[in-house]
Amino acid sequence: MSNASMDSVQVRGAAIKIQNQPSPWAAFAIRVAFILGLMILWELVTAFSGVPTYLFPPLIGPRIDTEGVFHLVHPGSVLAAFQRIVSDGSLLASTLSSFGRMAIGYSVSVVGGVALGTLIARNWYVRQTIGSMVLSLQSLPSICWLPFALIWVGINENAIILVIVLGALFAIAISTEGAIRNVPPIYTKVGRVLGAKRLALAKDVLFFAALPELLGGLKVGWTFAWRALMAAELIRADVAGIGAQLQVGRDFNDMALMFASVITILAIGLLVDLLIFGTAERAVRRRWGLEK
Amino acid sequence: MSIEFQSVQKFFQRPGKGGMGRVQALSPTTFNIQSGEFFSIIGPSGCGKSTLLNLLAGLDEPSAGKVLVDGVEVKEPGPDRAVVFQEHGLMPWMTVRHNVEYGLKLAGMAPKDRQEKAMQYLRMVHLSKFAESYPHQLSGGMRQRVSIARALALEPRILLMDEPFSALDAQTRDVLQDELQRIWEETRTTILFVTHHLSEAVYLSDRVMIMTAPPGSIKRIVRVPFAHPRQKTSNELSAFINDLHQDIKTEVDIVAARELDPDWQPENAIRQEDGIVMQGEGI
Repeated sequence: MSNASMDSVQVRGAAIKIQNQPSPWAAFAIRVAFILGLMILWELVTAFSGVPTYLFPPLIGPRIDTEGVFHLVHPGSVLAAFQRIVSDGSLLASTLSSFGRMAIGYSVSVVGGVALGTLIARNWYVRQTIGSMVLSLQSLPSICWLPFALIWVGINENAIILVIVLGALFAIAISTEGAIRNVPPIYTKVGRVLGAKRLALAKDVLFFAALPELLGGLKVGWTFAWRALMAAELIRADVAGIGAQLQVGRDFNDMALMFASVITILAIGLLVDLLIFGTAERAVRRRWGLEK
Repeated sequence: MSIEFQSVQKFFQRPGKGGMGRVQALSPTTFNIQSGEFFSIIGPSGCGKSTLLNLLAGLDEPSAGKVLVDGVEVKEPGPDRAVVFQEHGLMPWMTVRHNVEYGLKLAGMAPKDRQEKAMQYLRMVHLSKFAESYPHQLSGGMRQRVSIARALALEPRILLMDEPFSALDAQTRDVLQDELQRIWEETRTTILFVTHHLSEAVYLSDRVMIMTAPPGSIKRIVRVPFAHPRQKTSNELSAFINDLHQDIKTEVDIVAARELDPDWQPENAIRQEDGIVMQGEGI
């Protein structure tokens, strides 16, 4: 690790240096401190810059009013908006319905993207045909498909899910193709001489050999799916969802609700990275011996 | 069991001026390997020694001719022809034991049987206590031991070894050569061993096949007339190696002369009586 420090330790009276890895707790503490710092900065700016609250609400906004009474939470603050959407249940409802769409859309993207990417990597004809178009399909922002989706599958959930799939599937396919083609040829050779035929070779050898890179692709795929979902929900504000909630905030000129929605979106991204992808990637790197 | 290479040839496509050109890697080559024999192939780089091994392994197809095992033409890889490569190629996501078991699993062996067999061969390479470790926890020499155990566990009719010790440091290589000699004495598996180390080939083999500079062909096949187990330090072995040395060096010099600048000259070319092939001819 480049940021490892050196600890001096006494061994039989002599000072020796031992390379010291920063503990996971130190990493966590620094992250928390950084976020706290940003929050304090936010409070200071909103308190002293004179920007009106309806344009840039404080996070909490503690203040003393004209009668000398202390109020911890400003009614126009982001925290107050959070309190409202938590107590009326709309935060939970919109998070759940966004996650519901993600669960379907992302699952379809993973299965379809990994299958398509594998085909592109392994089959010459697929690579020359579909493979040559995947990148350009991916470069089209998936929200451009929403008008098509609304007409093709109707004004319903499926239209949004289709947009998620079109946003993530090609990204996952591209990463999968790269991951498989970057598998060192020795694994294929070893698999073949040990008697692995096509299917066994794919599921026992290529899949695992590609896994470290594949996980990176699934992570990027997740961010594309999440972005596509938010964009689709913004446009279809009549459904429940975090993106829709952001649009509701805009409709009611409720800047605090808009910030609350964006913070929710960011927090979910952070948690998913930390809990799911971070954990999986660490487990793989450890098993492979790429990280102690 | 018999292994026959019948007028085997290999051409490769290589991009050149005016599109794809054909390069002959292997001139028609015919030889046999006997059952239980330790047979080595040695030659300069590009002479087709690894190509011959890949053809027998079924990883590559001959452009002409046939490779026969017990009279049956080789078409694809199979567990009767296990291979140890220069890179160990252990699967990093499997424990050492699972690596050794994988080929047996593909062959449909029951979990308990294949575990027993894997442990048997891990004991043979003295690594049974690392059975539940992962490859990254082993040293380079230990990994190559596992890869030998993995090949032997298939109980192949022939063990193919493609420069198996070339990536190891000199000490480890020394130890593994002795181990291989012992394992071969124990199992009496037929071994085809490809190397560019003459002393290694002579020390281990019953017969050594020396190949010419590309397009590869057989220069000569030499029987090593000493009984196993051999001592690396024995004088007669050293004398035998010295005698063969010039045979190989001639071919290596031809390859070097093609690859290097024209001002390069083989070191002892002028002193040689028969004035090595190469003097200014440029092949």
